[in-house]
Amino acid sequence: MSEKPTVLVIGGGIAGIQASLDLAERGFQVYVLEETPTIGGRMAQLDKTFPTMDCSICILAPKMMECFRHPNIKLLTYSELKEVKGSVGNFRVKILQKPRYVDGTKCTGCGVCAEHCPVEVPNEFDMELGIRKAIYMPMPQAVPRCMTVDKENCIECKLCTKMCRAGAVDFEQQPKDIDLKVGAIIIATGFNQYDPSEIVEYGYKKSRNVLTALEFERWVCASGPVAGHLLRPADGGIPKRIAFIQCVGSRSSKFGAPFCSSVCCMYATKEALIIREHAPDVEVHIFYNELRAFGKGFQEFVNRARTEYGVNYVRSRPGEIKENPATKSLTIWYDDTLTREIKSLTDVDLVVLCPALLPRDSNRKLAGIMGVELDECGFFKVVHPLLAPVDTTAPGIYVCGYCQSPKDIPDSVAQASAAAARAAEALTLVQVQRKG
Amino acid sequence: MSRYEPRIVGFLCNWCGYAGADLAGTSRLSYPANIRIIRVMCSGRVEPAFILNAFENGADGVLVAGCHPGDCHYRSGNQHAEKRIEKTKKLLDLLGVGSDRVRLEWISAAEGEKFASVIKDFTEKLRVKGPSWLGKEPPSTRTAHDAKESIHDVLKRTKALYCQECGKCSSSCPVTRLDPSYSPRLAVEKALLGLEDAVLTDKGLWSCLTCYLCRQRCPLDIEYDELIRTCRAKAATSGIAGNCSHEGVLFSLSRIMANPEARQNRLKWVPKEAEIAKTGDVLYFAGCLPYFNVVFDDINVKNIEIAQSMLKILNAAGIRPVLLENERCCGHDLSFAGDRNNFEKLAKMNMAAITETHVSTVVTTCPECYRTLKIDYPEFLGQPKFEVLHASEFLTNLIDEGKIKFPGKLPMKVSYQDPCRLGRHMGVYDSPRKVITSIPGVELVEMSRNRESALCCGVSAWMGCGRHSKQMQMERLAEAKGTAADLLVTACPKCQIHLNCALSEKLPVNKEEVAIETCDLSVLVARALNLTQSSNMEMNKK
Repeated sequence: MSEKPTVLVIGGGIAGIQASLDLAERGFQVYVLEETPTIGGRMAQLDKTFPTMDCSICILAPKMMECFRHPNIKLLTYSELKEVKGSVGNFRVKILQKPRYVDGTKCTGCGVCAEHCPVEVPNEFDMELGIRKAIYMPMPQAVPRCMTVDKENCIECKLCTKMCRAGAVDFEQQPKDIDLKVGAIIIATGFNQYDPSEIVEYGYKKSRNVLTALEFERWVCASGPVAGHLLRPADGGIPKRIAFIQCVGSRSSKFGAPFCSSVCCMYATKEALIIREHAPDVEVHIFYNELRAFGKGFQEFVNRARTEYGVNYVRSRPGEIKENPATKSLTIWYDDTLTREIKSLTDVDLVVLCPALLPRDSNRKLAGIMGVELDECGFFKVVHPLLAPVDTTAPGIYVCGYCQSPKDIPDSVAQASAAAARAAEALTLVQVQRKG
Repeated sequence: MSRYEPRIVGFLCNWCGYAGADLAGTSRLSYPANIRIIRVMCSGRVEPAFILNAFENGADGVLVAGCHPGDCHYRSGNQHAEKRIEKTKKLLDLLGVGSDRVRLEWISAAEGEKFASVIKDFTEKLRVKGPSWLGKEPPSTRTAHDAKESIHDVLKRTKALYCQECGKCSSSCPVTRLDPSYSPRLAVEKALLGLEDAVLTDKGLWSCLTCYLCRQRCPLDIEYDELIRTCRAKAATSGIAGNCSHEGVLFSLSRIMANPEARQNRLKWVPKEAEIAKTGDVLYFAGCLPYFNVVFDDINVKNIEIAQSMLKILNAAGIRPVLLENERCCGHDLSFAGDRNNFEKLAKMNMAAITETHVSTVVTTCPECYRTLKIDYPEFLGQPKFEVLHASEFLTNLIDEGKIKFPGKLPMKVSYQDPCRLGRHMGVYDSPRKVITSIPGVELVEMSRNRESALCCGVSAWMGCGRHSKQMQMERLAEAKGTAADLLVTACPKCQIHLNCALSEKLPVNKEEVAIETCDLSVLVARALNLTQSSNMEMNKK
């Protein structure tokens, strides 16, 4: 067989990117399947990363570009997995590529079309805090750099067609079926954030000054909806007091998920530091349950937040958050479990809820298509959690990143490399067998 | 067989009745030795609860003797006594014990003769009447099977072992906020530490309203209500009891109803023109409304209107409901006060009586009956063949099926108090709202704390009504008043009782800030259907 051994990577987040690059570097052909118009995933949405306080997109974008330019990697963005047949060494995969209505070979991503587009839609990339147009690029660093028409919201005024100097807008585009033959598959679908509006006492979606952590990441990000200014979402005022609430829906048998999402203690600390760096006079309170600072440099990071940055840690899961209807400021009622006093923190300008991070709902469908098993929480099951941590229940299909179990970026990247190595191993074995 | 000798308990006032008895003795007057005398400082001190308690414990008659009108040592104690005896007689009639088993007599210190003749006469009458059926079955003690369960097993069963000690319960608890000495977290914590005695002797154990707010919010779904209920049962077996409001008269009533011999006269409230049946599809479980109507007649609530309205609505919808002649208290309050034994008796008897009628649906106007019949009975006796619906659910169905149609507009703004048992315990939030908003002209304005976050009316299971209860009631009434509603609709007779009680007392705030008319959902619907002109509606306008 002259065909290059090929791998399909499902998910274009940091885990998928890392696995793809590892395999491509070793000479394998890689297809990256991504459902949104750009690769980058959750990491692209973050402002900074813990515990090094790197600018997230600054360290991610070069990897995204590398993926895009690599001769052995082909990106299949805005696409869906439809069917998987066969077995290790010989999977036959059907993929549906949704029409972008923009010719990727012509579009330069200049954005003139979007400037003129009259339709404004909440931007999913900004957790719907900002707006985008019906023809859009989710973020400035999108890869591939190509506009996409959101057909659901498009009113087909064709102003974009008129304004595009490259003649890239093409409303005649049709969905494209892509058939692939791959030897192995790597799943890296990441996570979704739990919607805490079910926990009514926290007033999410009712009180405008209550945000989720991912919303807050976009809110304080320089490329976010308010260009990184630290503002009160309700009225654009300058906040003086901000609070974080941990374990919103995580470690819960009733709401969200029974497991610990493993990153919230640390990202809340990171976000607290971002706040103090933005505006050193803003008070930051973190309501935590157990402070899980378990990784390398994590405890030191928390200690720095406490001492150098004056972040106040309170051991409590607050009972309720009440909004003052006139001022939109918030009062947090909590039991300071260390002193056993019921207290209230008043005049809070912004509350950041740190919700459970859940495996994606679409995992169920994917698992069905690929014939792999999920665990009771919806994570992809591995053959042995200790000794085969990236092998799914189907040979030749591997898993990495948050969709396998809760983990942070470094762990996701490490697991991605592991999954890539396992995929490579399988493909080499198949090749050897075929050559006899 | 030994001859029946009536047992009479005499509550004699220190200044007149007792002195009269003394004179009878020193004058060597002879009278039957059937009376056991309890000296009280004033006949006005004799609560209905005392008298019921005497009957519970096997008395065949109760005599209350005080000073002649105008002679009271405390000016008006005997007037109170008169009212209380009147109330007690009504209760005894309802219970089927008979009001003639109680006698109120004015006997002065000089009337030794009168005392002797009263006793003679009373004893003779009781002899003719025969023994009270209450004496046949010895009263049940407050024991509980739960008491056998170790505290560790209770923690396991109620999921309290998962507690993360995060304090979400305690910072949500409306009681803790007013009285930090009690908190659900501390109760769990003590139990987790194995301090069984500390848990059971903690006064806070009886402060809990089992309002379910902590459980609603607890991420681990720890069953605090069940934990508290079980601990109370355990405490009760060690002789520890909570502070019962109304001197425990409501518990007495429930316990008397738990007597298998009980033959009540509880259907007197049914209007003559109403159509009721012995068998059919629908049974209306009125609960303790006939009793509440007597006990709470002095706080401007006419509880029986709830039952009467419901009956009228059912008739208007073409339904002839079954009413149980000897329906008994559902036992909810006994159960939540730790008296599992009597609860189980009531459960068995009610379940058997309902099953006998072969109805397919049981409708309740009280959310506590609703919870008890729907969850607690089946848990203990197995799933019955009938479905249990709260009035709000049943009315929603009637409205949806077009069986009741509102003839005209009722232009008013109303707010709605979510009862803990209906809302958080049973998850019924939408039905009552649907009923309210389907009345043309009625606008529903929500209080800021509504649905899952609603504030409890301040008392539950007739336990420990105190300062904090009143504070909560004032808070809630002010919240209701703040919505600018004309009416506060409740779907629980007890919410209405408690909120009205708070309003009938001396208010710590300006009346304008809290005074709002209350009305039960069924009464509102009956009124909107022109089936009734509620007297209760006008109450707070004076």
